[in-house]
Amino acid sequence: MADQETAAPEGHDHDHDHLPTGWRRWLFSTNHKDIGTMYIVLSMVGAFVGGAMSFMIRLELMDPGIQFNLFGAGEEAAYFQFYNVLVTGHAFIMVFFVVMPAMMGGFGNWFVPLMIGAPDMAFPRMNNVSFWLLASALVLLLVSAFTQGGPGTGWTVYPPLSSAEFHPGPAVDLGILSLHLAGASSVLGAINMITTIFNMRAPGMTIHRMPLFCWSILVTAFLLLMAMPVLAGGLTMLLTDRNFGTAFFEPSGGGDPVLWQHIFWFFGHPEVYIIILPGFGIVSQVVSTFSRKPIFGYLGMAYAMVFIGFVGFAVWAHHMYTTGLDADTRAYFVSASLVIAVPTGVKIFSWLATMWGGSISFRVPMMFACGFIFLFVMGGVTGVALANAGMDIAFHDTYFVVAHFHYVMAIAGIFAMFAGFYYWIGKMCGRQYPRVLARIHFWSFFIGVNVLFFPQHFSGMAGMPRRIPDYPDNYAGWNYVSSIGAFITTASTLLFFFIVWRTLSAGEKVPANPWGEGAKTLEWTVESPAPFHTFEELPDMTDKQAAE
Amino acid sequence: MAPMRTDNRKKNRLTAMVLFTVAGGMVGLAFAAVPLYKLFCQVTGFGGTPKIAAQPPAAAPSDRTITVRFDANANPALPWRFLPEKTQVTVRAGEPALAFYRATNLSDAPLTGTATFNVTPFKAGEYFSKIDCFCFIEQHLAAGEEVAMGVQFFVDPGIFTDPNTQDVTTITLSYTFFLATGGDGKEGEKPQQAKAPAPVAGRPVKG
Repeated sequence: MADQETAAPEGHDHDHDHLPTGWRRWLFSTNHKDIGTMYIVLSMVGAFVGGAMSFMIRLELMDPGIQFNLFGAGEEAAYFQFYNVLVTGHAFIMVFFVVMPAMMGGFGNWFVPLMIGAPDMAFPRMNNVSFWLLASALVLLLVSAFTQGGPGTGWTVYPPLSSAEFHPGPAVDLGILSLHLAGASSVLGAINMITTIFNMRAPGMTIHRMPLFCWSILVTAFLLLMAMPVLAGGLTMLLTDRNFGTAFFEPSGGGDPVLWQHIFWFFGHPEVYIIILPGFGIVSQVVSTFSRKPIFGYLGMAYAMVFIGFVGFAVWAHHMYTTGLDADTRAYFVSASLVIAVPTGVKIFSWLATMWGGSISFRVPMMFACGFIFLFVMGGVTGVALANAGMDIAFHDTYFVVAHFHYVMAIAGIFAMFAGFYYWIGKMCGRQYPRVLARIHFWSFFIGVNVLFFPQHFSGMAGMPRRIPDYPDNYAGWNYVSSIGAFITTASTLLFFFIVWRTLSAGEKVPANPWGEGAKTLEWTVESPAPFHTFEELPDMTDKQAAE
Repeated sequence: MAPMRTDNRKKNRLTAMVLFTVAGGMVGLAFAAVPLYKLFCQVTGFGGTPKIAAQPPAAAPSDRTITVRFDANANPALPWRFLPEKTQVTVRAGEPALAFYRATNLSDAPLTGTATFNVTPFKAGEYFSKIDCFCFIEQHLAAGEEVAMGVQFFVDPGIFTDPNTQDVTTITLSYTFFLATGGDGKEGEKPQQAKAPAPVAGRPVKG
């Protein structure tokens, strides 16, 4: 972000407001690029904290027995509570403060206006509010972790464990408030994205010509708009149950803890699509650019995402197969969950068809995109296994589930984020990544995460439960291997932070389009780094070929 | 440029208002889930929710009989002894029957309890109707007081003809008494208030 001056574009002659500098530039920002940058920085901070938490978890699980005595002898209960807080915090931070800010807030804010030829988002000040709400939410979450034992409930926050009886004190309440702020941030951001995409496309950029990344953000924004308020409702009910004597989830007052599960998972399932859909969009852009071919089946790709979004609202109880649901009910949720695999398969095949016959160049973004395709399929097939209620009776709350969702979110999702980072970093900061180090990062990360998570399938199939600090000796073998994978992944992540620093400080300067003829979207027509203001005059897209 | 920006401003504001309404609607839906779930269970008998009937069925009872078992539990926070007078009865489908539970307040302070209930197998919920039940209201017991509480019910003969429930030979009616969390005014959560018939009088047992 070294370049703050607007390079005077043609025909641009009205007065600029004095460009902000110093802390005001960031606290009061109304610029989609600056706000996108702040989201990416927040995401890296979150990755550091959330990663540290998972590192501690893997250290504990490396060997059977309890490895740490953080609170002194005889204070095991306090340590186990702390362990549960680590498990809870790790999940919340990775979901809400790493993946979502990077993809929606970071890449979404940076590139949606650029790709549709808009000068900025529809509501630049609300954009700023969204960011600072999220930053505040992160602070609140971290504060909650250090308040009277912290919220040791798991990210699913099920009552009665999360009720006042078993979590007295303000920790869970602070966690609830943190989630309220994060939810508000996301809903406002979603409104901003939808309005921008619907109303501010450049002339000639019809909705069926906009890049697939914009489609992915559009669908994600609708999911956010409809799912996060439901979480907000449920969280409010939990808050009043804990503090104001209501009994939404309390049987003695006529309530039901299973109601929480319905409300939470009605939000929770769309949430995982919220996490991955922008990744699908990034992969489409990268695969198309580095195959030097337009994406195969543009309409199929766009509407597959819409279909996934819709059906994603109708499968929530596949997280609840062990709660005593009716057999017919379970049968419905099994079928609906299996149906979602179909449009997802359409996307996988379309990416492969895009590469087929293309002129492929395996630059680092493309390596991460291809890695995504392979690893997402691996994670997806274990999801198909879990979708079956019968199988899930054995798998529920075991490490098989942990392996599944880490493959789709932590491996594939992160690969998509890295693909986006390496693809777009030149545009964002004007300097390119160091090539050899980036390849080392790819391979070390690939090996690390697979060594980390693949053995967890075996632990889960052997019956190892989730969310435990210790386990019977027979699970020791794969846990040890998994923890070695954690060390490799950590080292690789530290290498990535080094690469970021190296790129920003000494990276090779990069032209407007470093990727060649495959890069056809509008962001590659502006200089690198992109000027503070772009497309103040809307580009005329009426004659151009359809954007990819 | 200026004209285009202004056009966008109005459109953007309208779009944003529609979207805010959608978001608000979803919050409302989350809260509406509470009565909606209750209603759904009451109408369909889902999860073993028994039905509530105003009066016995008009048709003559069937000859076929079914066994009804009675289960009683008290939440540990409520120091009451709570037991059914009989553990099971055999009734003709369609014929109203009366069963009693006894509750004794074992503590030395007056306590108020409310009961939750359901039937198993869950699919029988649709065919099990209660006409009068002590569970419709809170029960107040003085220290040491013992009370017999009744429930009047019948089993709908439809249970024999529905292919889903033809295999049911025994229905278990189960109650759990909880300490009524005192005076917080969340009476609204009690599911059966819709029909509050004259309560079956608890017959205080002397001595």
